[in-house]
Formats: sequence, C-alpha cells, structure tokens
Amino acid sequence: MIESSLLAEIIKIFFICIIITAACIISSRNLLSVVSAYALQSLTIVLIAISLYLMEGSGVILAIATVTFISKVLIIPYFITTIQEKIRIKRDIQFHFLSPTTSLIISIGLMLLVYIALSRIMAAFPARDTLFFFGSVLGISLMLMGMMVTFSRKRALTKVLGFLSMENGVLLFGLFVTELPFIIEFLIVIDLIILVLLTTILTVGLDSTLEDYHRRLHRFHLVEEPEGTK
Amino acid sequence: MILPAIMTCAILALAGIFLARDHRQMNLVCIIQAAAFVFIAVSYILSGQVPARLLAVGSPYFFVDHLGIYEILISAVIFTCAAIYARGYVDGLLASGELEKGSLRLFYIAWALLLPVLAIAFCADNLALFWIAAELTTIISAMLIAILAARENIDAAIKYIFIASTAMLFSFAGFIFLFEISRSVTGTGSLNWTVLLSEASRFPEGMAMAAFVLVFIGFAAKSGIFPFHTWLPEAHAKAPSAVSAVLSGVLLNIGIYGIIRVYAIVHQTAASSTAALLLLIFGLLTVGIAAFSMFPQKNLKKLVAFSSVENMGFILVGLAVSTPLAMFWVIFHILAHSVTKATLFLSAGILHRQYRSRLSSEAVDDIHDVFRYQPLAAWGIIIGGLVIIGMPPFPVFFSKFFILVGLGALSPALLFIMLVLLFIAAVAFGYFTITVFSRTTAPGQSQDLAPYKTPASMKIPVVVLLVLLVVLGIWFMGGEVSIIQNIITELRFS
Repeated sequence: MIESSLLAEIIKIFFICIIITAACIISSRNLLSVVSAYALQSLTIVLIAISLYLMEGSGVILAIATVTFISKVLIIPYFITTIQEKIRIKRDIQFHFLSPTTSLIISIGLMLLVYIALSRIMAAFPARDTLFFFGSVLGISLMLMGMMVTFSRKRALTKVLGFLSMENGVLLFGLFVTELPFIIEFLIVIDLIILVLLTTILTVGLDSTLEDYHRRLHRFHLVEEPEGTK
Repeated sequence: MILPAIMTCAILALAGIFLARDHRQMNLVCIIQAAAFVFIAVSYILSGQVPARLLAVGSPYFFVDHLGIYEILISAVIFTCAAIYARGYVDGLLASGELEKGSLRLFYIAWALLLPVLAIAFCADNLALFWIAAELTTIISAMLIAILAARENIDAAIKYIFIASTAMLFSFAGFIFLFEISRSVTGTGSLNWTVLLSEASRFPEGMAMAAFVLVFIGFAAKSGIFPFHTWLPEAHAKAPSAVSAVLSGVLLNIGIYGIIRVYAIVHQTAASSTAALLLLIFGLLTVGIAAFSMFPQKNLKKLVAFSSVENMGFILVGLAVSTPLAMFWVIFHILAHSVTKATLFLSAGILHRQYRSRLSSEAVDDIHDVFRYQPLAAWGIIIGGLVIIGMPPFPVFFSKFFILVGLGALSPALLFIMLVLLFIAAVAFGYFTITVFSRTTAPGQSQDLAPYKTPASMKIPVVVLLVLLVVLGIWFMGGEVSIIQNIITELRFS
C-alpha cells in the first residue's frame, strides 16, 4: 500500500498537469492537439481518481474512474477525431473576443478569484485538508476556463471541446467536494455522450454545405432515404 | 404508479411511430400520447393521493407533489394542442419542402420523447435526476429546432445547446454543493428535494447562497433570463410553430420550476433575503431588456419570443416578493403564460403558412389584409396579445395585478419602474399588431396571394386555447385554487 502522504503529493503533480492541459486547450490553434489535450486531461482525472481510490478505498471512485476512462479518454476523443477528418478542418485560428494570451492571463485571474471565493465559502465546513480544497478550486477554475473556450472560439467543434473541458471541471469538483452516488455520475456521462453526438452532427451541418450535410446524414442512416430512391 | 405509466406511454408511442407508415399515423400516435398524459395527470389529481409517497410512485428517487402534477398537466394540455396542430402544419412544411420527408420520423420520435422526459423531470425528487432530465429536454428540443435543416436553424439549435448546457453545468456544481451541505448537516448526503427541504433550516447561510447562485445560473439560462436570454428569440422564431408553442409554453417552465424548487429550499435558510434580492435584480433586468428589445421587432414570432423573456423575468420578480399571495399568482402566471404563448405561436404559424414568410428571425413579416385571409389567426394574435399584456378580464391581468401589489408593498419605486417597463412592452405589442394588421391592399391588387386553406386541425387547437384563456380569466375553479394553495404549502411559503 502506498503511503497517503505520497499519494497526496502525486495528486498535486496531477493538478499541475491539468492546468497545463487546460492552457493547451485555451491557446492551441491546431484542432488535433486540442483533442489530444482534452484526452490527456481526462486521463489525468482518471489517474487522480485512482489515487483517491488508493487513499480512501471507495469503490464508487474506482467505478467513476472506469466510466471516465472509457467515455472521455477513448470514445469521445475518437468520435471527435473521426468527425474532424470527415469535415477536414485542421485549424481553428479564429478567436471571437479574446486572443490566446489574454485568455491565459484571464484564466490566471479566474483561478485567483475562485480561490478567494471558495476559501470564504468553505470556511463553514468542518476542517477539510488543503488537498481537497485545491481540488475543488481547480474544478471550478477548469469550468470557467472551459466556458471561456466555448465562448471565445469560433468553430463549433472547438466549442464542444470547451464544453467537455467544463464538464471535466465539474467531475473534478465532484470528486473532491463530495461523493455523489455512482448512478448519477453514470447518467451524466450518458447525457454527455448524447450531447456530443448531437452537437458534432450539427457541426458537420454548419461546416459543410447543406447538400453535403444531407448526403452525410444519409450515410450515417440518421434520416431515411426518400421514398422511391431505396 | 406514475413512473411505469410514463414509461409505458413513452415506449408505446415510440413503437407506434416506428410502425407508422405515414405522417398521419405518426401524428395520431403523438396526439394519443399527449392525451394519455392529460389523463394520467387528471386522474392523479382526482385520486387525492398527491403528494404520493413511494408505493404510488415506484422509486425512492421520484415523487409526485402538487407542483409536479400541475406542471405535467400544463405540459400535457399544450402538447395535445400542439400535436393536433402539427397534423396540418407539418403537412404544410412537407408540401413546401421546408421539412424533408426523410426527417419526418426523426421529428416525431423527438416529439414523442420530449413529453415523457419532461414528465420524468417534473416527478424527480432527486435533484440530480431532475438535472439530467432537464438536460435531455435541451437536447431533444434542439433536435426539433434543427430538424428543418436550414443553416439558420442549425445555428440557432447549436447556440441553444451551448448556452443552456454550459450554464446547466454550473447548476450541477450547485447540486454538488447542496449534496455536501446536506451531508455535513445530516451525516448522510442526499439530493432528494423532500429531504433537503425538511433539513433546510439547518443549512449554513453562505453555502446555501453559493449553491443557489450556481443553480440559478443554469436554470436561468434554460428559461431565458438575462443575460442568458440570447438563444431564446432565435430558437423560438426559427423553430416550426408547433415546436415554438411547446418551447415557449412548456420548456421555459422547466427552468422556472428548477428555480422555484431550489428557492424553496433557500427560503428556509438565513440566505432567503439575499436570494430574493438576486431574483429581483435579474427579474427586473430581464423584463427591462425584453421590453426594449420588443420595440424594434418586425418579426411576429420574435416579438412573441421576447414577450416570453419578459414574462419569465416577471415570474422571477413575483418569486422575489415571496409572500404566499405573490406565490399563488406566480404559480397561476405560469399556467396563464403557457396557454397564452401556445395560442400566440400557433396563430403565428397559420400566418406564416399564409404569407410564406421564411422561418427566420431576421425576415420582416410581409403581412397584409390579414382579416380577409386569416381572420381566426388574426383574432388569435389580437386576443393573445391582449391577454399577455395583462388586460382584464383575462388571466394574466390577475397574476400581474397581484404580483405588482406585492412588489408595491416591498418598494413603491420598484413598482413604478416595473409598471413603466410593462407599459413599454404592451405598447410594443400593440404597435406591432396595429401597424401590421391594418395593412390592406385594394381588393384587386393582391391577386397573387392565394388564400391558404387552413386545415381544421390547425384551427381547432387555436379555438380551444382561446376558449381556455377566457375560461381561466373569468372562472376560478375550486379545484384550481386548492391545487395552487397545496403547492404553496408544500413549498413552505405559507
């Protein structure tokens, strides 16, 4: 059994990894690297969950780690990469209001703000150790950073990734603040997968001409062939 | 056993749609499904078993109380009308090529899924399950908006999904907070609304407020509250009118429902007055933004959509007053608003078919000689407009009046501001109706426009809803009053 103080140190290193991946998602212009950054971020969260399991031995956390691994490290990134190859967009160089540098500076500010706000709110709790406090600060910050990506990027596909990164923030927050029943975590993942499916399919509609879009929908069997063409 | 009943209805309806061979059969399935939900809701209310506990529900995660069953009844009635309307309306969309024949089954599958998911949301005791159901309604209704496969529709649907879903993630973080609060207070964490409400008086103020703010962000976006209202006018204007009626009459309610539930919890804590202040500020801002946005509108559906934003803001103000009287009229306003908005959107749909205007939020409606071509739709818009701006003796007048009385007791200055804003919104609506409906051409000039033969299936729902509006205004049924009073008692506002 690994000592829990050592595990706590390891988790702190993972925290840094999450911040780095978040910065990548905010600033990268290459869509593929945004997807890999997201997959890496999800993987880091899985590793954090496993470390937490080793510390606390709660089976629910292990189950969450498994579901997260399957859905967010394997399925969703694979799906997005496939779609991306189909629509042949490699780069997302348009930013709405914020340039990457400004976004990064703002995210630092956001993290500080969240830290201050949470330390006030959490004061009401019976003493929680610093690890859990940092985890929840990082969770909320990740949410805000993801939101910034969603609203500052132009391509719908990058927006989806921002949204997914927000959801990672909620997961992280949930892991550290409290322990939700597994069924709820599981349902959220299902909800997330449906959402990603739908938005990416709609995205294809946005990024290609409509005739093209309909041809693709037919190919994926999402709409029926008109009578007579069967 | 409400859960098995909902599930059975959903599965039967989906099976029916898969088996159906043409549009009429699919539509019939949807009408029967919605009518079945009306039956379920009414039978629950008449059985007197509400609030129902475990045995009558079927799961510890779900419950049935008066607010839930009231919302289900409103939704089911609106859905029934909209489904009947869709019979003629979707035929028109198919004929004009706006809806592809291939997407028809997908449209009805989404339609048939939406009502059961809504019912599950309104029956969920567990707030996380409620959240998931609410998220699913966003996804399904976005499909219904995007179904027309015009680029503008896809745009509106994506905007709707992104704004609503990103904000809803904040709600979820709020629920995580609530769970942790309940765990620290009771020892075992719970997200069941009934448990949270009974323990709420022991919740620490700061944490409760933080949870409320987070939850509010999400459900405010879902119900089109400023500053998250930007998706609403586009989505409601671009969706097919039968869908717009459902979006405005039913789906906005789910956001307000979520806010009411969580506000009821916070109302028991020391954070009550801060939360009320938050609701008041956002309510006023929303009404203000909506009123000023209504003025320059040249598009009927967009005007009606902004009026929805205005009413949602008004409901928030009513919640902020939070006296039992104001709460009574808030609950009533939800009903009145839903019925009125359904009437308005369904009438607008008839005009849209007549004048062939594009389903776009930017297009200027080219409406003229409306009384010659479509008198029923014109009267639908006029009466619906009179109702929504709060003219007596229609139902919205009473809810607006009593909520304003409550607001006046709170602060006369706020009452004044509110009255001015409501006046602006009313003038905007009146100005639009008068200028557009008084446009006439000489009898010989408009030969190019063939009168659209409105099918009976599109007329009947409008007539039914208009009758319902008049009845709601002049006759307060005893059962209605007792249901709303029960809701207020169960929410612990009395």
